Amino acid sequence: MSSVQLLPLLLQLERQPGSLREQVEAAVGAHGTPLRWAITAVEHRPEQPPLLQIEAVVLSDGAAEVVDA
Amino acid sequence: MISTAPALPTLLVIPTGIGCAVGGYAGDALPAARLLAAASGCLITHPNVMNGAALYWSDPRIHYVEGSSLDRFAAGELLLQPVRQQRVGLLLDAGIEPELRQRHLQVADGCRATLGLEIGPVVITDRPLEVSLILGASGVSWGQLGQPEALLRAGRQLKAAGATAIAVVARFPDDPDSEALAAYRQGSGVDALAGAEAVISHLLSRELGLPCAHAPALSPLPLDPDLDPRAAGEELGFTFLPCVLVGLSRAPDLLPAAKPPVVGGASAPALGIDAVGAVIAPAGALGGGAVLACAERGIPLIAVDNPCLLEVTAEALGLEVIAASSYSEAAGLVLALREGIAPAALRRPLPPLRLQD
Repeated sequence: MSSVQLLPLLLQLERQPGSLREQVEAAVGAHGTPLRWAITAVEHRPEQPPLLQIEAVVLSDGAAEVVDA
Repeated sequence: MISTAPALPTLLVIPTGIGCAVGGYAGDALPAARLLAAASGCLITHPNVMNGAALYWSDPRIHYVEGSSLDRFAAGELLLQPVRQQRVGLLLDAGIEPELRQRHLQVADGCRATLGLEIGPVVITDRPLEVSLILGASGVSWGQLGQPEALLRAGRQLKAAGATAIAVVARFPDDPDSEALAAYRQGSGVDALAGAEAVISHLLSRELGLPCAHAPALSPLPLDPDLDPRAAGEELGFTFLPCVLVGLSRAPDLLPAAKPPVVGGASAPALGIDAVGAVIAPAGALGGGAVLACAERGIPLIAVDNPCLLEVTAEALGLEVIAASSYSEAAGLVLALREGIAPAALRRPLPPLRLQD
């Protein structure tokens, strides 16, 4: 048995001011070592920051998950 | 026209597994890459752009850099050190059947005998890697690997034996009757294998610090008389390995940016992100690490009309871009930047200058 696993993630992230790349990497990195990620959709909402959909694969020892960052 | 201006290192990104009209199939962005290499004099791009299975093109102006290393290069974490030749270790999945394995070994031998590549050693993983294919919520192809540590063990073994780059061949699940495969072969679908391929090479390259690339091992498909030309490169032989071996044979070394590059014996100075003068990506796929890192550094971003599954545009992300309707136009824009011509001066109408408030 492998002690590490590759896990797919689907995250929702509310965009904040500052480096977008750093925001995404921090959100993905909270779930393991990021191997691959991309912003795959952007939802613009009235009077709120845009909501980003992020798909990723991380190296981790947890289980697959869908979370809101 | 031949430019006499110094080369303008340029990054070309066409993400894998998102169904791009150009670059979503079997190395079908290679003509665009060749044109952009000629326009820029120095193009940095990734295997999805260059790999055409049995078809490939070797150009000393093109640097072949696996995707996660490209992201780290764009973030300023890595330098690219051109080399004369890599010693390409071959990592084979234990899940590959003996006859198919033999086919891959013969491709490696063919590349040694016919192209003069330095290949070896060869290692087989101590257990099958258990690759599975996944489509994400957006329809993008991702992928899963059941035994990542078996991959890493074999990679470490190759590195210890002297390999300076690693070509991985993993057994992918055959699914000859699937609708997705039929759509892909007929030019209207997503490359379902691409996401898992990216994950394998990202994992290995990140952990070992070596150039890595992947070829899937699959059983031959029955003849499809309606095959799209963009997918044809994958139906010429028994393996997808030749392009990977050729690409890796002159892939640049990956140096930590904090470590001063070694000058002696190098074929050219190491390249860092500070030298890059343009980045090119599909207009609907601007939400990846390399593109965002470049944009945040103020590197001109050329967004090419290249339809894909995603609509992560400059407008959606609030990025400033130079729009191009094709890779031909993008090449013209790169040449303009290389020659010091403001791209805006080439467009009409040309608005007059206004006093700043």
